[in-house]
Amino acid sequence: MENRTTLTERILALDKTLSPDEILLPIDYNLTPTAIRRRVDGIALLAKDRLLVWADGKQTASVPLSDVAEVVFRRGNGCCFIEYRLKSGEWHILCRADNQFLDFYAAAAREISNYLEGKEISYEYEKEIDRRCPKCHRQYRPGSNVCEHCVDKKNYIGRLWKIAKPYHPLIYLSVVFYFIIALVNLVPPYINRILVDDYIKAAEMPKLAGYLTVIALLFAVNIVQKLLSMIRSVLLIRAGNNITATLRELVFDKIQKMSIARISKRTSGELMNRVSNDTSELSRFISNDFGAMAEQILILLAVGIYLFSYDWRLALMIILPTPIVMYSYRLFHSFMRHVFHRSWQLDSRENSILHDTFSGIRVVKAFGMEKREIERFDKVSRDLRDTRILTEHFFAKIQPFLNFLMGVGEYFLLYYVGNRIIGGTMTLGEMSQFSAYVGIIYGPLRWLSWLPRRLTRTMTSIVKIFDVIDEGEDVADRADAVDHKIDGTITFEDVSFGYDKTQYVLKHINAEIKPGEMVGIVGKSGVGKSTLINLVMRMYDVSEGAIRIDGIDIRDISQDSLRSQIGVVLQETFLFSGTIYDNIAYAKPDATRDEVITAAKAAGAHSFIMKLPNAYNTKVGEKGHTLSGGERQRVAIARALLHNPRILILDEATASLDTETEKQIQDALQKLIADRTTLAIAHRLSTLRNATKILVLDKGEVAEIGTHEELMRKQGIYYGLVMAQRQMSKMPAKNQIKPAS
Amino acid sequence: MADKMNEAATLKEVVTVRYITKDNAKFEKQSDFVKMTVRFPNEEGVEEETVYDRIFLHRAFPFDFPYEYISVLDSDSKEIGIIKEIDGLGEEAAKLLRDELDRKYFTPVIRQILSVKDKFGYSYWKVLTDEGEMEFTMRDTFSNLLKVGGTRIFANDIDGNRYEIPDIEKLDRKSFKRIELFL
Repeated sequence: MENRTTLTERILALDKTLSPDEILLPIDYNLTPTAIRRRVDGIALLAKDRLLVWADGKQTASVPLSDVAEVVFRRGNGCCFIEYRLKSGEWHILCRADNQFLDFYAAAAREISNYLEGKEISYEYEKEIDRRCPKCHRQYRPGSNVCEHCVDKKNYIGRLWKIAKPYHPLIYLSVVFYFIIALVNLVPPYINRILVDDYIKAAEMPKLAGYLTVIALLFAVNIVQKLLSMIRSVLLIRAGNNITATLRELVFDKIQKMSIARISKRTSGELMNRVSNDTSELSRFISNDFGAMAEQILILLAVGIYLFSYDWRLALMIILPTPIVMYSYRLFHSFMRHVFHRSWQLDSRENSILHDTFSGIRVVKAFGMEKREIERFDKVSRDLRDTRILTEHFFAKIQPFLNFLMGVGEYFLLYYVGNRIIGGTMTLGEMSQFSAYVGIIYGPLRWLSWLPRRLTRTMTSIVKIFDVIDEGEDVADRADAVDHKIDGTITFEDVSFGYDKTQYVLKHINAEIKPGEMVGIVGKSGVGKSTLINLVMRMYDVSEGAIRIDGIDIRDISQDSLRSQIGVVLQETFLFSGTIYDNIAYAKPDATRDEVITAAKAAGAHSFIMKLPNAYNTKVGEKGHTLSGGERQRVAIARALLHNPRILILDEATASLDTETEKQIQDALQKLIADRTTLAIAHRLSTLRNATKILVLDKGEVAEIGTHEELMRKQGIYYGLVMAQRQMSKMPAKNQIKPAS
Repeated sequence: MADKMNEAATLKEVVTVRYITKDNAKFEKQSDFVKMTVRFPNEEGVEEETVYDRIFLHRAFPFDFPYEYISVLDSDSKEIGIIKEIDGLGEEAAKLLRDELDRKYFTPVIRQILSVKDKFGYSYWKVLTDEGEMEFTMRDTFSNLLKVGGTRIFANDIDGNRYEIPDIEKLDRKSFKRIELFL
């Protein structure tokens, strides 16, 4: 994708007769419109009075705008098109490109259409071209303005460090402890030397008291060592768990704030994995590995300095194999990363399957598919096992060899030290001290060569966590968002909306709903009814136009304030695990018992609740399994009513109820909703008999709007729907079983 | 078993899937698109001819059967009927429809993987395809590489483009090694 300036220059070079101000909207394309599967360097142009197309520098079409009836965007699979229809009815392709151009083409096609209708070109579409990182030219992820490819590793660690800020003192303190422990570690070999040289191999008979003192000292040092380690571990465990808790909260908080669109893109298994597993991985890292890392590095430094100052040639000999070993680990590094990543993916898949099967257990059982589910789970479980075995095998085979390589220096040491003792330049005690230090220094060396493996694993988790934290908020509060007390007027001003930019589900919706009105929304399934109410709740932002409440654009109202005044009852009612009481009081935890009972009564729930042995204290399962669909719906209605919303949204809220119960609830609602605005979606049109206004959606547009009577008189879509339903309700009467003669 | 067969029979009685075949349809090129003339019996059972100036094609099984079970739609996205096998329509019509399908479903075929860089959940690919050298980025690589029928792979990049590797075992060793770890 090239920008307008570049394209304009290229066009001017291709066609000298064009003047710059004739070039309105240039579009580049990379796939041939007519021939199949060939890439091309092409430009299409909306000029002042015609459409022009070039392919590889040659002009291929020139169409006067007066011949063009319409211009549309069309989506292929893996490519997209802008097409135009001539007034003769013939369709042609203006340009075609791969999906990278998708949003750009959708926007450009709209601009051209607008131009054909006589509107000015707004050049809004150019935003779609510039949505790339200036550094690496990769497209930003939807909704994000940070290029994650150019954000480096250190940054992640730095940010993690910032998040851990409240626990910095704990971490610093534990580092101090590490330092002390590292020093204390140096003491026993020194005492050992005294023990050997002054007592065991002493020239004259040593004094028993001195001998005991040395042993006691050794004992004491050991105790101190263990005590210090204990305190240090406690400190780090505390820091690690606190940081993890903070991260968990951050991730959970972020997920809660994500728009529905973002959340539904991920599986709940994946999200759960992020919240629990990835953060525990970090906790493990901080409480075990981070500490160990500090310890090992300090020991390495302390012992290393000692060894080098004692005899640098000897020290060099010992350390010599280390770089080779480190390098070997590096060689396997990328392989390991893949394996870990894979194991993570499989873990997440296993979680998804578990989640899927358990929440769909009724379907599984109803179709007798337990066996297949078992097989499916077994397969992932086996894959996971294989991946893990692969990792472990790898280490089992490689590690001993590398360890051996690492220890090769010890043989040189033996030879060298032996020579010196025989030559008399070293005492036995010195040798004991020296080899003890050598033994100690191999610990951190081995550990450090093993570190990349751990770090990789942790980095993968860190990146995945920040991936969630960094996700852009597509429905975000403006900085100057206001809290507004809703009166109840809802205005749709030329609202268009698509879940993606290329396809509008709702087009040019215009309507005004006054306070206290009950508006029924009617239309075929999939026509956008639920989408429309989702927009009012601001689950998504409109693509074009605006929704206003009391004249204020809902994007200017804070989401908290907006949603706290909207009550919703959805067809798919969800009850949280807890009591019925908790569920009704969900949106108003400070409600009094009287209020809850009144709401339940209004929703027609009180009577069935009182029939339960534990009444309001009855626990309902994760999805309210113990309640029937109709009962759950009534609890949900009670919940919405208690919320005392200014705007009530009912999405097929009474669909699971029999007509009798529905009527009772409706009558109660009728009184309750007297002064609040209600939006109700219903397939059963009788539900809407109290509606003051009916809005009929068809193909994403408002097809009809008016009162029941008006629409019946009009004999349009609504009339057709009513008639069809009347016919349906007559059916049972017709099919009644005739009494046997 | 007998019960099941009975059920299937009734299902077929209730629902009619309209098939477009060599015998009831004619295809020709009109401007950049395909025009179809098709004869179907109407409600009274009398054959009726309809002309569609432009038809839209949609694969029912894009992975498994790219040229079979093709849904033919009119400009309102209403299904006119289903073509069971493109090749059964005769050479000329088959070519016309294959071209139309290949244009709508743009899926470069990967012949060689030149390099793969994997960085924090994103992978950057440089490949040689039938359309020449291409570069693309994948997010969450593991789940965006769809394995179909054992050895066929479809890769979806962050823009929603799709690439195909018809048989992963036929890739050269280096290419195979590059992709192997993601599978």
